[in-house]
Formats: sequence, C-alpha cells, structure tokens
Amino acid sequence: LTGPLEGIRVLDFSHVLAGPFATRLFGDMGADVVKVMPAFRAVGSAGPPHPYHAMWNRNKRALSLDMSTPDGQDIGRRLAEKADVVVDNFAAGVLIRLGIGYEEVSVTNPGVIYLQMSGMGEGGPWSGFVTYAPTIHALAGLTYLTAVPDREDIGIGFSYNDHASGLHGAVAVLAALDARLRTGRGQRIDVSQFETGVNLAGPTLLDLFANGRAARPVANRLPYDDAAPHGVYPCAGAKSDAIQDERWVAIACMKEDQWLALRRVMGEPAWAAELKFASSTARVANLEALDRLVAGWTRTQLAEEVMERCQQAGVPAGVVQNGADMAEADPQLRHSSFLMELDETVPGLPRTFADRLPLHFHATPANVYRRPRLVGEDNATVMSDWLGLPASEVDRLAAEGTLT
Amino acid sequence: MPLMSHSPSEASVGAATGPLTGLRILDLTDERGIYGAKLLADLGAEVIRLEPPGGDPLRQRGPHLERAGSPDVSLWHAFFASNRKFVTVDLDASAGRSQVRRLAGWADIVLDTIGEQSASGAPIPTLEAAGLDADALLGEKPGLVVVRVSSFGPEGPWRNYLAPDLVASALGGICATTGDRDTPPLKLFGELAFALSGAYAAVAALAALRHARETGEGQIVDVPVHECIASCLEHVFMFYWYHDRMPYPEGAVMPRRGSLHWSSAYVVMQALGGSIMVTPTPDTEAQVMWLAEEGAHGDLLDERWSQPGNYFAWVRRLMELLREWVATKEIEPFFFEAQARHAPFGWVLPPERIADNPQLEARGWWTPYDLAGTTVRGPGAPYRFSETPWQMQAYGGPGRDTASVLAEIGWESRP
Repeated sequence: LTGPLEGIRVLDFSHVLAGPFATRLFGDMGADVVKVMPAFRAVGSAGPPHPYHAMWNRNKRALSLDMSTPDGQDIGRRLAEKADVVVDNFAAGVLIRLGIGYEEVSVTNPGVIYLQMSGMGEGGPWSGFVTYAPTIHALAGLTYLTAVPDREDIGIGFSYNDHASGLHGAVAVLAALDARLRTGRGQRIDVSQFETGVNLAGPTLLDLFANGRAARPVANRLPYDDAAPHGVYPCAGAKSDAIQDERWVAIACMKEDQWLALRRVMGEPAWAAELKFASSTARVANLEALDRLVAGWTRTQLAEEVMERCQQAGVPAGVVQNGADMAEADPQLRHSSFLMELDETVPGLPRTFADRLPLHFHATPANVYRRPRLVGEDNATVMSDWLGLPASEVDRLAAEGTLT
Repeated sequence: MPLMSHSPSEASVGAATGPLTGLRILDLTDERGIYGAKLLADLGAEVIRLEPPGGDPLRQRGPHLERAGSPDVSLWHAFFASNRKFVTVDLDASAGRSQVRRLAGWADIVLDTIGEQSASGAPIPTLEAAGLDADALLGEKPGLVVVRVSSFGPEGPWRNYLAPDLVASALGGICATTGDRDTPPLKLFGELAFALSGAYAAVAALAALRHARETGEGQIVDVPVHECIASCLEHVFMFYWYHDRMPYPEGAVMPRRGSLHWSSAYVVMQALGGSIMVTPTPDTEAQVMWLAEEGAHGDLLDERWSQPGNYFAWVRRLMELLREWVATKEIEPFFFEAQARHAPFGWVLPPERIADNPQLEARGWWTPYDLAGTTVRGPGAPYRFSETPWQMQAYGGPGRDTASVLAEIGWESRP
C-alpha cells in the first residue's frame, strides 16, 4: 500500500521542527525523503535517539553527508540534481555558499523545486535574525494576543508556528509540483516563518487597517462575535492538587438554541432565566456573572459527564484533554488508531511511538510508518538508489570522512 | 487612525498567474476547512464557493468594515474567502441541487464538509445537503478528488459531536498546554486551530491531485480536525511517551505554565517599556559571556556548577539572573542588540506594532484588498514563489458570480 507522493524525491537539509515537519508530511505520503544528517549535526535533540528527533523524523532515510568538504559538496550537488524537491531551513544563502543553490542546480535539473524555510525570509533588515517558534510567536503578535487581558507573558504553549510553517511549506511545494506539469520548470519558494505567523492574524490585521482598531487579548471569548457561554470551566474529579491533574471542560454556545439546551442540561436553574441572560448580547454584557454561575454548576460535575450530556443535548462541549487523556481515554483517537507504537524501535530507545498522518486517503492509504533512522544508516542504499554508486565507492567516501 | 485609500489601482487585478492556474475547485467548506480553500484560491486555482440564498453564513463573522456609506463587509470573510467566485444555489429547489451536481462534475477537486456547522444562519451547501454522494460522483468521474473536512471523521463514537474552535481546541490538546497556573486553560486567539485543519485540507487536495494526475485515479480524503490539531502539539505526546527519558521532573503531562517553554529555557521576561521572549539557547556560552561583560553573571562561573548533576540547577540560576538583568534593559535597543549577537530573543509585539514592521515593509509584504470599492491594506502571501507569484483579486458580495459561472458550466435556466 502506497501514498500519493510515491516516486517524489526530497533532499532534506532541514533541522529542528518547521522543516522536518514539512518533510515528515512528504515521507508519510510516500515520497522518498533523504535527510542529510552528518554525525556532528545529530547532537542532542537534533539526532537519534533523542525523543524530539524521533517525533519528526519517521519515514525518512538518513544520509550522513558532511557538506563542509569539497567532496561532500560534490556529492550534495549530484544528489540535488536527482531531486524533485530540496528543503532547507538554514539562514538564507547557506546552500548557495555550499555550491548547491537553486540557480546553480536548476541549470542541469530545471524541474527542481527549492523550499527555503527561514525565520524572516530572504532580504530585509531582519533577514539575519535567529528565530525559534517562541521568537516568531512574540514578533508576529501571537504571544500578545493569546492571553488573558493585561498579561504579555502567556502566549501559545507549544511551537505552533513551526507546525503551521511546515504545513504551508508542504502546500507550496505541492502547488509548485503541479505547476511543473504545466510549465516544465521548477522554482524557488521562500517561506518566511514570520510572515506565515503574521498572515494567520488576517482578519485582525484587516480590522486594524480598515477600522483603526488594535486587537487585545480576550482569553477564551470570541474577539469579534457574541457567543456566551464561551469558556473553559473547572470541574470535579481532580486526582491531586497538581495543576496537570485539574479537570476542565470547554462549553461554547454558538447559537441561541444551544444556550436553551444548556439551561435544560443544567436543570433550569432560576438564574439562567433572568433577563440579563436572555440574549447572546445580554449574556456577553454580563459575562463575568454568567461565567461564575456556569462554573458553579460545572464544579460539581465530572468534565466527561458535562461533555457527554451537553453533546447529547446539542451543546458544543469538550473535555480539556491533556496528552494522557488523549492517549488513554479518547475513544475517537483510539477508533482511528491515531497513536501507535512502531514495530521496530529506534536503537537506544526502549520503544518508539508515532502519531499518524491525520489525512485518510481512501485509494492511497499512506499507512507505512518506518522508524527514524540512525546517523548514516541509509548511506549505502541512498548512494545506490539516487546516484548508482557501488558499495565500494560508498566505503571509500566513508573512509575519507565525506560520509561521517 | 485608519490606514486606507480609495484608489482601486492599488489592487492587483488581472489574470491569475499562481502555480495552480487552471485548476478547478468547488469550495463547500465552513470554518474548519475554509483556510485550505483560501490557500488554493490564492495560489491561482479557480475556486467557486457556493452560498445559500441569503448569503454565506460566514459573511456574518466579525470584524466588519465600519465605514459610513460602505456596504456591510465581513473582514473575516474577505480574508478567508479571498479570490473566490461566489455562486448562490438554492438546495430547496431541484434546480439548485442539479447545479451542485453539475459543478462537482466541472471540478477537479471538491472541498467538502461533513457534520453540523457552527456558524449561525442557513448552512453552507455541502454534497450531502445537495443529495450527492462522493462515491457516486467518483463513479461518474474517476479522477475526481473529494476532500472532506469533519470535526472527528465520518466514523467513531464522537462523529456527531459539535466542535467549534474552543471545543476542538480543548479536545485536541491545545488548551491543556496553553495558559498559566493562575488562568484557565486557553484557546488560541482567532482561527489558529482551524488554520491547521484548513492547511491540512490543502495538503490532502494537492497530494491526491498529484496521484490523480499520475494515474487517473481520484479518491476521497477524510480530514478530521481533531487529528489535525493533535498532530501539531510539539511536545505533548513526546512527554507522554518518553518522559522517563527526559530530564524534567514533571512526568507524563507537562502542566500549563505561561510562556515557559517545555525545555525551561525560553520564557517571556519584563524589560523596561515592554516584554521580551528570552532564551540562552542555542549558544549558552555566548549568553553567559554577554552577562559577564556587563558584570551580571552572578555566580554562574562557579566551580560547583560543573559537577555532574548540576546542569539543570545551573540553567535555572541562569534564567533567574537573566530575569534580573533584562528588567534593567530598555526594550527596543535591547532586542536589536540581542539579535545582532545572534540571540533568538523576540520582542512581544501587539498587532499595531506589526503594522509598521520594517521587515514586512522591506519585503513589500502587505497586499491591497479591494473590498466593495474600498481598498484596505491586508496580509500578503505566506510564501513567495519565484516563477508563479501570488495575487489578490477583488472580493465580492453574495452570489456575485452566479450568472457567469452558470453560463460557464452550460447551465440554462428553464423558467
């Protein structure tokens, strides 16, 4: 069983998360992804058997090519000439200095598509900035806006923008592959992770420019629409006082009939029939009182029961699930076998796990999951498959240190 | 102050040149998938978005254009429904249902929605609402790609659960890891959760298209929002699976803890005049030397720290000293000096400071949006193509393109 990108060759110079997340998508969908990972780069969380590396590097082959030597650059160039897609998230210009920039490689490989995913994109006064996702979140306004009012030190609790940039990079590459069928040529794609992040605040920026209104954080409310209750409420059932054991439920009444249904689920308390809660506008105007009263009810309930009773009644509600909830209790993720253990573990890790590609292709199921590979583990097969080099030549490159 | 002009010449109007020029897409998405339809439309595909009589319910989403004399324009919709053709179909009439069938036959890709929608108003037309079955459409047109965005997938115990953004974010694991000890778990501002499912829908569409172009075989692709979100949680499953390999005491679940990164080495600190995300990584030695240059290194160079087992205590001490030091710094020069030293600090900027950002200005990133005759500055492309640039066409009102599209597909209305 194969994926929809069977036959596409991807040469992957990316590291950390944004680039590797894009190439993970390609690998999951059946592309032949060769990750260039020499021993000196595969340190700490950037290499096996670190769990962080294991999360983003399944379904790729590992080539331990050292691009710092002329021989290494020669091999790199020959690989780029065979590639459909070359991905890097170095600072702009690094591949050019290594002699395998797009201008050079496209002379002999005109169909090649280069995806460069840098923090700030090419050119401009900030192009040399060093960024990780928390940097981008801060500069793009995402940290400022994801918070309760008057707090600037909360923001998104995980590297959201790395995933988002990886997804955008994947969309761009797939679009360029389709354009290549029509034009016969590849091209360069410049992804600025900063611009990807800023773009995601689209309506907020249009509001700023059109109406002169600067957005402020609103916690769990909707910034522009009246919906109430629309919040996260504390529940009973915590197994300890530790913060990670707290139980919470999200309730979002998007329509009037959902509020009426929630009143019934709560047992028609007298307060809910008061005039000050009679419309969504009125409820938003009296939100603090409303949230306190709803929380007074949820506090006596288990989060799972609130969710189930609300959903049965047509009210959107969901448990605030943490990683353990999702792995152990979530019947929907279990139904789709979303989380799994790989048959073969990464040497050095007792067991290796994976979350599945969330795309369910009916004809090309993309359900092959090969474990992350060790440094240089695929040197011989990659050199043979891509360049036709015999084993003796690979041994020579290894002895010289071109393959670390 | 509104930054706005009325010159229509600022808008780029003209033939599409994007990489997907010529590709035909039928857009039946709601909030959960609409960002994917936007990505494909902005890349030059011809994307027809259907709306019920009375208009797309997503045209009610705020913020709205607030300008005397202008028609009502949802800025939310103008962003997410950019570069579309807008066609009104009445699914209560057999002609409307036939039109959807005809348009599905016209399309290379149908972006469909399964399940109840969260927006108020009449529901968005979907294949199911039009009485059409994706498998039957594939039977008639084997190369068709149908991408179906749903909250939880077409099967399973939660398949009928309602999950607008807040609920999807709670169940999908975002909220548990966002927020601080003294706040509730938080959702992300705006549409960030559904941006993930939308982008995944675009990936699904183009990957399936590639297979269809190679083999002639189309297919259905299901895109459950719940799994899309769960696949983008960075450290969450890593801690659950591998916490015994990680040098942190928190266990299988990392609690929400404000801006403090899972590695404990990135956090937002208070400087003079603003907040800044500070980290001693990736070159911790250089950071310590910077502190030492200014006599702010405290006891960091003490011998005792180098003893085995003290590294994480040392990092905690380093973060404490950084916090004291940062509190003495003027935010703006400090941020630029940090970046000049290759330290990946990030100034926590509000949206109004993004509006005048010199990097976006230098890259010519902002794009004019033509909104019913009013031109407004808006976000540019999330990626830049060297050969097939991205373009923004004029936005349209409800059903703007109904007549021309029905003519294009050869529909003749019989009174």
